[in-house]
Amino acid sequence: MRMNRTILITLLLLLVQTSILPWLIPSGWSDRLLPHLPFVMTVFVALLGGRYKAFFFGLGFGLLEDILFYGELLGTYGFSLALIGYLIGLVGERKSHLLSFMLLAIGLGSLIMDSIVYFVYQLFKLTGDSYLFALYWQIVPTMLLHVAIALLLYLPARRKLTKPGSGEEKSAT
Amino acid sequence: MIGLILFVSLLGFSYGRTGLTWPERFVNDAVGTVQEALYRPVGAVSDFFRDLGRLSDVYEENEQLRQTVARYTQDKIRYNMIENENKRLQDELHFTERQKQLYDYRYLIAQVIASSSNPYDKTIKINLGSNDGIKPKMAVTTVDGLVGLVSTVSEFTSTVTPISELDSSSADAISIAATVLGREDQSFGIVDYDKENKVLQMSKIDENDQVVEGDLIVTSGLGNVLPKGLIIGTVISNQVGDFGLTHTATIEPAAKFDHLNEVFVVVTSDVDAP
Repeated sequence: MRMNRTILITLLLLLVQTSILPWLIPSGWSDRLLPHLPFVMTVFVALLGGRYKAFFFGLGFGLLEDILFYGELLGTYGFSLALIGYLIGLVGERKSHLLSFMLLAIGLGSLIMDSIVYFVYQLFKLTGDSYLFALYWQIVPTMLLHVAIALLLYLPARRKLTKPGSGEEKSAT
Repeated sequence: MIGLILFVSLLGFSYGRTGLTWPERFVNDAVGTVQEALYRPVGAVSDFFRDLGRLSDVYEENEQLRQTVARYTQDKIRYNMIENENKRLQDELHFTERQKQLYDYRYLIAQVIASSSNPYDKTIKINLGSNDGIKPKMAVTTVDGLVGLVSTVSEFTSTVTPISELDSSSADAISIAATVLGREDQSFGIVDYDKENKVLQMSKIDENDQVVEGDLIVTSGLGNVLPKGLIIGTVISNQVGDFGLTHTATIEPAAKFDHLNEVFVVVTSDVDAP
């Protein structure tokens, strides 16, 4: 796993997410489709690089995102991304790295991340929506978008971010 | 476990804070410059394609604008007359300096440089900061109407919370005192956002107060959070409120909250009434 390159690319993706993606999402959907590219990258790191790398990777980028868009709370994304990176890394170490497993990890991870964020905001009484409404309105559409983005990014990411000839490459194919 | 405790304390600590420490300000400004370089060209391209699609409407729009300009010139003449009259009367009545400057607003043009993907905290970033005189709780508008309030400020960028996040059921609610354009002295209500129906609600309207469909709602300036006379939206319907004593009107927001390009920050000259 080439960490320096991964971090650089994820920084670029974060900029793309905050400054370019809002223009591509149609007007009526802008509060339903809320992709997090650092989240997708965290899952990749968890599958290709292991749980400890993924933990710190998720923590760093989650906190960065929190600080950049500080509205009410700091640390919701830092917490949820670090947790998801660690959990997926833990499960992924024993499984073969098939494409279907990666998609499952992205889908479940996306559900868990948005649910954690929802429950944190509900805990602090910052949102009044019911969980079912949040699920239907935002969490499920965003999950589908995450899966699509992951499909687009997975092959280039696997080719560019793993060291050629290392054991990681073998286990990744 | 320790991580969980740390995070809960971080969440609690950061909640309700308005100032930023220097690392936060530094990160905001550093990333903000790159975001600005990306957001504006993409916005321009996207606007270009939208304009291409609307080319057929241009004639009609031009006709409308011409009528508006004609009306505007007439109003401008009238406004100048009334303003002079007003100044003379203020002098005669010995208004204090503070009272005179109460409605003297400056509009700073800001570019939006990024928008967040957090569903419960949808903030946008603009390219003006404390260096340009931006302070927290300043109102932000577009040409259409009120968009939001400045929430945090760093040197060269600041974060804006849209009014769609000012949910009355949440703990951080800021209510907007509002009134009807043209009947400022008779109407009064409190505006907040109804997230499930995606509309604004104006509650606590007096029963005898006739707020009807199509009325233009503006900020009233009471409560000293927002300046006076910023357009909020138009009334869609008006019904009896929860307890039957007051009325609640549903309001269509005038401004849209996504695909924003240019916004205006309203700077009031008075320090103690932002």
